[in-house]
Amino acid sequence: MPGMRSGLNLGNPLLAAAFRSALLHQGLVALLIFGVLAFAWVSIREWRPGGAGGGTAGRADGLDAEPSWRMLLRVGFGLLWIFDGLLQAQPSMVVGLPSQVIQPSAASSPAWVQQLVNWAGTSWSYHPVQAAAAAVWIQVGIGCWLLAARSGRWSRLAGLAALTWGLVVWIFGESFGGIFAPGLTWLFGAPGAAIFYCAAGGLIALPVRYWRVPWLGRAMLAVLGLFFTGMAVLQAWPGRGFWQGRLGHGAGTLTGMIQSMAQTPQPAFLAGWVGGFGSFTAAHGFAVNMFAVVALALIGAALLIGAALPGDALSRPGTRTAGTARADGQMLPVSRARRWSRTLADRRLLLIRLAVIAAVLLCLADWVLVEDLGIFGGLGTDPNSMIPMALVLVAGYLAVAAAPARATAAEVAMAAGVDASVAARVDRAIQRAARVLAGAGAGGRETRQASPEHARAGAGATEARQASPEHARAGAGATEARQAPPEHARAGAGATEARQAGQPEHAGADRGANAAQEAGAPDRAAAGAAAREPAGQPGGWRGRLSPGRLVAAFAATDARTLAAAWALGVTILGAFPLAAAAANRSADPVIAQAIGGSAAVLNFQAPGFRLTDQDGQPVSLAGLRGKVVLLTFLDPVCTSDCPLIAQEFREADQLLGANRRRVELVAVAANPVYHTKAYTRAFDRQEGLTRMPNWKFLSGPLPELKRVWHDYYFPVQIVPAGGMVLHSDVAYVIDAAGRTRTELNFDPGPGTSASKSSFAAELAAAALKAMKSS
Amino acid sequence: MTLPRAAGIAAALAAILVAGCGSTQAAAPAPGAGRAARPPLVTSLTIPGGPSWAIVEMGGPRTRHNNFWQLVTRPAGTASWRLATPPGVADNGGLVVASPGGPALVAGFNPSQDLTFSPLASTRDGGARWTPSLLPAGLAHVPSALGTAPGGKLIAVTGRGQAEFSAPGMAGWTRLASLASLAATPAGRSCELKSLTAAAFSGLGVPLLAGRCAAPGVAGIFGYSAGGWHQAGPALPAVLARRQVSVLKLTTAGRRTTALLVAAAPGGAASLIAAWAGPSGRWTLSAPLPLGGARILSTATGTGAGEAAATAASPGLASAAGVILSSGRAEFTAGPAADWQQLPALPAHVAALVLGPGRQVSALAPSGSILTSWHLAAGAVTWTMTQAMKVPVPYGSSG
Repeated sequence: MPGMRSGLNLGNPLLAAAFRSALLHQGLVALLIFGVLAFAWVSIREWRPGGAGGGTAGRADGLDAEPSWRMLLRVGFGLLWIFDGLLQAQPSMVVGLPSQVIQPSAASSPAWVQQLVNWAGTSWSYHPVQAAAAAVWIQVGIGCWLLAARSGRWSRLAGLAALTWGLVVWIFGESFGGIFAPGLTWLFGAPGAAIFYCAAGGLIALPVRYWRVPWLGRAMLAVLGLFFTGMAVLQAWPGRGFWQGRLGHGAGTLTGMIQSMAQTPQPAFLAGWVGGFGSFTAAHGFAVNMFAVVALALIGAALLIGAALPGDALSRPGTRTAGTARADGQMLPVSRARRWSRTLADRRLLLIRLAVIAAVLLCLADWVLVEDLGIFGGLGTDPNSMIPMALVLVAGYLAVAAAPARATAAEVAMAAGVDASVAARVDRAIQRAARVLAGAGAGGRETRQASPEHARAGAGATEARQASPEHARAGAGATEARQAPPEHARAGAGATEARQAGQPEHAGADRGANAAQEAGAPDRAAAGAAAREPAGQPGGWRGRLSPGRLVAAFAATDARTLAAAWALGVTILGAFPLAAAAANRSADPVIAQAIGGSAAVLNFQAPGFRLTDQDGQPVSLAGLRGKVVLLTFLDPVCTSDCPLIAQEFREADQLLGANRRRVELVAVAANPVYHTKAYTRAFDRQEGLTRMPNWKFLSGPLPELKRVWHDYYFPVQIVPAGGMVLHSDVAYVIDAAGRTRTELNFDPGPGTSASKSSFAAELAAAALKAMKSS
Repeated sequence: MTLPRAAGIAAALAAILVAGCGSTQAAAPAPGAGRAARPPLVTSLTIPGGPSWAIVEMGGPRTRHNNFWQLVTRPAGTASWRLATPPGVADNGGLVVASPGGPALVAGFNPSQDLTFSPLASTRDGGARWTPSLLPAGLAHVPSALGTAPGGKLIAVTGRGQAEFSAPGMAGWTRLASLASLAATPAGRSCELKSLTAAAFSGLGVPLLAGRCAAPGVAGIFGYSAGGWHQAGPALPAVLARRQVSVLKLTTAGRRTTALLVAAAPGGAASLIAAWAGPSGRWTLSAPLPLGGARILSTATGTGAGEAAATAASPGLASAAGVILSSGRAEFTAGPAADWQQLPALPAHVAALVLGPGRQVSALAPSGSILTSWHLAAGAVTWTMTQAMKVPVPYGSSG
């Protein structure tokens, strides 16, 4: 019915088109950024003599090679972020995310959570196109950044960015993962997928010195163990509807959830699986819940036990150590305690492995049968929590399995099959290097001569390099032992080994080495460039920012770092417009256009009228010449549309600012029964319009009102049996010369703060346009 | 304490916290806790010698604003009902009416959605034509929020607990009293007045206000005279001495004022008492009707039994009262000298009783857009359908 509120449907064509356009434009900008960076990089490297090479950025050296757990998290979550970003590009996200995803997620949460979430939902709804596009580019950018930057400062920043955005999503998009709402259960994804993204980001952001500490893997497994145990307790808690497949005539809690997921539009075979599992749960709810409780409890217990049991790297199965090396390189026999320790460690690792396998299988089963993959229905924002959880589980296992514990460099070299005497010489060389760098101080940069022997090669590979051929490559998992002039040796690994060997005086070298490692690509390149300059060249931040140094650093950058820089640019491409939109108090006029359609441009003399305002003063259109008139028709006893339109007029008046002196906001009474001054004044009091000097609510004798309605093509009809008077919602913009310039279909829409603000912005913009054309 | 150990303890605490937070269900409020239930707006009144009026709710769910309140009327001496809902305002919030007698009626629209004040409409010809007017505030959501007297005086109870008075001609409204000011009077203090629930004029034109009393054994009906408010309600019998009394409905037709009182015992058991007062102000009470835990869904007042057939020249007295309960029972009393009688089982969807002269009882059953009228002749044990009226409910017009 015309004049009645219409809402925004999920597939509103105007908003979908605007969203596609925004994505396309921003995508072109992203390509442009990439093109400029790539062109500049190639050009500079071609132009500068010796500009190429020396780039070891983004690669890990030796003992600072990226551990497998970190690589898994970085690559796995990098791909997940990209996938989530692509999901965010679904057209229904523009309108649907706040109303269908964000706000329902907080429906059962306490009021303060709802307030927080509603603030975010409202902010999104004010600028839906910008917000939706921003979410795409931020997540795609973070994902690419994680994939591109393998180590160093760039990689850590990527992890930090993932942690930050993950927190935003967890709080505002997932209502803290629903932990404050009743009905929390691991089966439905508690405590929210985003928290695992945050955990992964935080782990990726860890400094190098934490990459191989023995306790990291244990801590990860311990936390996961506690989590699974807690979820088991929660799942077993009585009175929450999980033990019953059916509750009375209705479905139990779990059954109901599964059945609702089965209704989501999805491939038929998947709906069949989910629906079948729902039926099974309805019939055997107790057994299903019991299985879940027992599985979660066992997994949690196994992870906790595995984290608590002792064990070290040399005792792992497959380690080829033969014993402990003496200082002269001779091997001592393995002690009985060591053999016992090795057996316990084997069992510990086996327990952890079994627990992780079971947990991953349980996660996958839940992901398919309960969470229904989480990506269907047009509003899926991520594949829910099971995949991220599985990644973190496996990463925890890898962290435990790869922790070097208390091995010295020599022992590790021996584990790699290197001769004991050679390993001992390497050990001594590294310790000398560590002492030198400790003397150089924390934060010292690596200085090295421009020499190919110092170039790093190969991701994941470790290298034992020396002038001697005995230092052959040892393969993945082995640590690097490198001989080099002590003042140029990388002290990181050696310092770490020295510290672990109980030589704290070398711990200081660790910081120096870590700083060199974390300096990342541009810093490495800068260090490389600095190394080519005479030793002792003073640096300082001004020097480092000199154009020549910057160009040199840029030229020395490797492709990975370039990709990381581009990914950062993509992330900013999303974040910056989002921040700018959030700072804009007025909603985007596109919302109003999506609800009411675009404004019609007109140019004809506005029909005159002579009526009486709310104060009893005569008002004619001719008397308003010289001012822009925003004219509408309002029913003073209307219960829905007209109060909203009045608020939109009021907000438009505020948006006009100083220009409001040149604008008159005029409403004509649109009720054949209740149209006298008493009702217009009551309406003004109700809507807070009594203090607006440029507001006029006109009434008059019914014949005169009918003539005005007729002249402005404004139908008014009494509806029997308790209905509101039927009328359209329209606003006209009449310029200062009395010509009608614009007709706005002013159906106020859903009446949200966003739609009101949008209509107000549209009206104010039309008024300003009429002012300029007058 | 090492960092890993501290992290483990923190994680354990977090797990326990999450388990505790996630395990709680939002506690549902206990039934009957909190404020008293809203008096029902579904009501009817039969004017002695005049028409019968009834207010019923029709249409769809309230949540979608598809419920519309309808005013129907049955002129005196006829058996047919016709639609008389005043036009021009959406009435999703409810309708209240008051009659000064004869075919005249004043109707008020309860606010709904974004409308905060109450348009009024008055008729003098049984609803054929309506004259609009206005109450600048919103009417209270009670069936006796409006009162009128011959000559055109009006009294209204607003949703903010104030009583407004309008002199004949409806030139404007003045504040007559507020809950606070009335509660501060000696009469109000003796009642421990908690809310205003009804307004009317007595048979002599004295403004009456009624409400809910916290003090047991007191019926909170107050009359305004000589510049002040005084206790004007009935003295309650000893059996009701420990019960808190609330006035559900207060109406004057002809020269008799009828009040329906709900007396609630501390344990929750409630009884309904009908009370009548003539022009002298002396009250007569019915026997208490135990409600058995049921809620009152609609009320009816009309002409009583044993009285001469009322005519326009000799309106007689209105003294019958009836209710429909949520248990499905319909109870009716023919007047001060009569006991409560349970009516035969009601037909489906019956929402309102209408009490005609000579113990005749009608029932109205709204279902969607159809309003069915049923009639129970005096002494009959079954209902007879007399009319099925299609009402043009304007679905979707208020959304």
